[in-house]
Amino acid sequence: MPRASAPPRRAPPSQLAPLAARRPVPAPLLPQGLLERLLAVAMERGGDFAEVYVERTQSTHVVLEESRIKSAQTGLVQGVGVRVISGAKVGYAFSDDWDEPALLRAASTAAMIAQSTGAERAFPVSRVAVPSHYHVPTPLSDVEVALKASLLTRADKAARAFDARVAQVNAAYVDQTRRIAVANTEGRYTEDTQDLCRLSVHVVAQGRKNERRTGMYGGGGRVPFTHWETFPPEEVAREAARQAVATLGAVDCAAGPQTVVLAPGWSGILLHEAVGHGLEADFIRKGTSLFAGKLGEKVASELVTVIDDGTVSSGRGSINIDDEGTPGERKVLIENGVLKGYLYDNLNAKLMGQRSTGSGRRESFRHLPIPRMTNTFLAPGNHHPEDILKEVKRGLYCATFGGGQVDISNGNFVFEVSEAYQIEDGKLGRPVKNATLIGVGPEALKNVSRVGCDPRPDPGMGVCGKNGQSMPVGVGLPTVRIDNVTVGGTQVG
Amino acid sequence: MDYQKLAKRIVQRATKKGALQAEAFLEVGRQSTVRVREGQIEDLTQSTSKGVGLRVIVKGRLGFAFTSDFEASGLERLVDQALKLAEAAAPSKLNGLPGAKELGRLGDTGALYDPAVANLPGDWKVKAALEVEKAARAEDSRVATFNAVGAGDFVSEVYVASSEGMSGGYSGTYVYLYALPVASADGQLQKGYWVDYKRFLDDLESPESIGREATRRAVRMLGARRVKTQQVPVLFDPLVAASFVSGVARAANGNAVHQQASMFAALQGQRLAGEHVTLVDNGLLPRGLATAPFDGEGVPTRRTPILDRGVLTHFLYDAFTARKAKARPTGNAKRGYNALPSIGTSNLYLEPGQKPPEELIREVDRGFYVTSLLGHGANPVTGELSAGANGLWIENGELTHAVQEVTVAGNVLKMLQDLDGVGNDLQFRGGAAGAPTVRFRGLTLSGE
Repeated sequence: MPRASAPPRRAPPSQLAPLAARRPVPAPLLPQGLLERLLAVAMERGGDFAEVYVERTQSTHVVLEESRIKSAQTGLVQGVGVRVISGAKVGYAFSDDWDEPALLRAASTAAMIAQSTGAERAFPVSRVAVPSHYHVPTPLSDVEVALKASLLTRADKAARAFDARVAQVNAAYVDQTRRIAVANTEGRYTEDTQDLCRLSVHVVAQGRKNERRTGMYGGGGRVPFTHWETFPPEEVAREAARQAVATLGAVDCAAGPQTVVLAPGWSGILLHEAVGHGLEADFIRKGTSLFAGKLGEKVASELVTVIDDGTVSSGRGSINIDDEGTPGERKVLIENGVLKGYLYDNLNAKLMGQRSTGSGRRESFRHLPIPRMTNTFLAPGNHHPEDILKEVKRGLYCATFGGGQVDISNGNFVFEVSEAYQIEDGKLGRPVKNATLIGVGPEALKNVSRVGCDPRPDPGMGVCGKNGQSMPVGVGLPTVRIDNVTVGGTQVG
Repeated sequence: MDYQKLAKRIVQRATKKGALQAEAFLEVGRQSTVRVREGQIEDLTQSTSKGVGLRVIVKGRLGFAFTSDFEASGLERLVDQALKLAEAAAPSKLNGLPGAKELGRLGDTGALYDPAVANLPGDWKVKAALEVEKAARAEDSRVATFNAVGAGDFVSEVYVASSEGMSGGYSGTYVYLYALPVASADGQLQKGYWVDYKRFLDDLESPESIGREATRRAVRMLGARRVKTQQVPVLFDPLVAASFVSGVARAANGNAVHQQASMFAALQGQRLAGEHVTLVDNGLLPRGLATAPFDGEGVPTRRTPILDRGVLTHFLYDAFTARKAKARPTGNAKRGYNALPSIGTSNLYLEPGQKPPEELIREVDRGFYVTSLLGHGANPVTGELSAGANGLWIENGELTHAVQEVTVAGNVLKMLQDLDGVGNDLQFRGGAAGAPTVRFRGLTLSGE
């Protein structure tokens, strides 16, 4: 394996927490009687559908700067949102006040979207059992903050010990224990507790003549705190430091089309941007995505099979239920290059005569659910990663990545390469700086010419933004070769 | 409820329970948004929200907790948690809330609150959004659909109280209109985006002008294609220029500078750009979206030039970092109730020049006029910028065809030196960062 592509390996966290150690079911967030009253009020003007969404999120955030724990903080955010759908119209109101009169007011505000004077009706709900894809016996919110802080001091020490050129280390640990409950007028009541944590380390390395390079690494997931025994902060820190130091002395990146080889793992954001967003049902229904109306068509090389899977064990993007109470699913979006399906939330599914794929997610009770990805990955192929590299005469090896973005309509996507190397005669050469890849989703995917047999999930640090809502997601990719990609850089000719 | 009193009570409770210093930051807001589609309401959201964050110092250690639970038991837990968290943090002599000297006298903000926005009739936003959509459709028949068309308003109140004598509050209003039409021709889809966002209803552009401009921006991108890889003069339109100057300002973060983790670290007092480049952070800008009497920890806001006629003059500080760097706090502690203050900009803008944007374009033989960027902008540590770009090609001083699927790349320090034109069209479009059209002598464009 090329040296630039060896992020720490992650042990399957499901082994750490046997199913027997499941924690007891907590008391409901809101009494069932109150939920049913809210649904009745929400429907009093004759809506077609109503839903009550209850959320209580406890979070911790610890920050290390200049080798000290700068701050530790915890917070509680709780609220209730009531959504009423009437035809294609949606009314939504939320309140962070859990007083019954405040909640009833929210329900009747949301109800106003419907115009008729519907009769008084009852909407009994009953609890529906959901599968479990994450096993966190002790809620992360119950773990002592001092233990969380010690991860950071360990990371700081390891990063500084890595190389004398490491000049600055910032580290952060965040976690949340998020409880949600969804009740709707179809009689469903579902609940889930979603623990999530992440450790991230930023390193600045200083070279000669004020040259500065940065490295960033992190990971986590819906895992118990014991995760850090097998994914120790030292490994995270050393990888961040390695990136920063490895890119000292990097040369300007050549601008223009090149053959690129993507290291496995975090490079999965290519899929997330190049196709994932364009397959979300809101864009499809409104006809604003270039993938609209292309089901059954060939939109990628036949080496390309793309899957969105909310059921990955302990995955950062995994969900037992989405934020509309629909169970998470594994969905094949593109199979051997052919477009197979879209990602649906409830509303878009209904308007399009489909069923929800468990993709209705929301950042919090302050937001309406919208179709989102969970864990998005490319199925492995047959090529050996070493052979993929060996075959390239001249090109760019992209080892680690910053972020990406896509313009859904014209399909233009970018992703930023934070660590890259020239490829010469099948071998890695000098590091290059300031590289960005740009392409149009389907065209780039048609140029995928090799797919490695080395699938790898990212270590658990992805955040996806859409319509102002941030969401944890997972991505994954084996080693991939794409021909004729436009590489942004500063060097012409 | 008297929130000012409540904030004070929380502070008293914390000091009574053992905090040497305590500060409560409380936010209350109500907002309403509407989106329309094909002449109908698509969705309507209404909400009220509130939250309070409590910062305490115990034996030189900092603790912070926040909650949206204002029940007595919730607030009790808030105090206990903040105190408990202080135990986990490292002690530091630098920890401490802004004192009397830093709190000082408040500057003049002018009005921040518009009763006309606070009392907008319920259907005003629906009508306005429908007008936006109608105008956007009427402007050009190639509008195929919309990503979204909408309107919104909100009213917010902020209160700060501290054991060091801070006690203050203010309220403000906001109203906005936006459109995201998608134009279609020959199988190509192109989106447009236009928005106006103001504190005062009278300042808000008409729904018709928002809709029409959004469509013009979508339609002019039709037929977009790649161009060859080359170095050419590049212009950023005001939206793109605003995001560029935001990136520049990130490197003026006093904490990053102090940590040597900024491209500006060793450059204070040096000339980085021509005389025509003045980049200002101004917390007192009249009618500015981020204008406020004090920042997130009660320190008075002020006008701080970052680049003063090309010279790097000031960095931005909160109280903690100012103490660390032996500088003066600049009133740039930004926060919500759910976070500790961190350094950020208020109203940030590049001061306008003399030339209309058309003239800046006319002076270019062949070049690229960028109307949107894709990516996360410049890296404030290394100064590197490499981003996807959409825009219009310039030939002989005229905008010709649309361009997409290219990138522009450069280094911010070099770009500042190369910044050879500043338009007279300063605008704040959708946020508190504003800029006029700017022109760079040469940037690398990567395409075919």
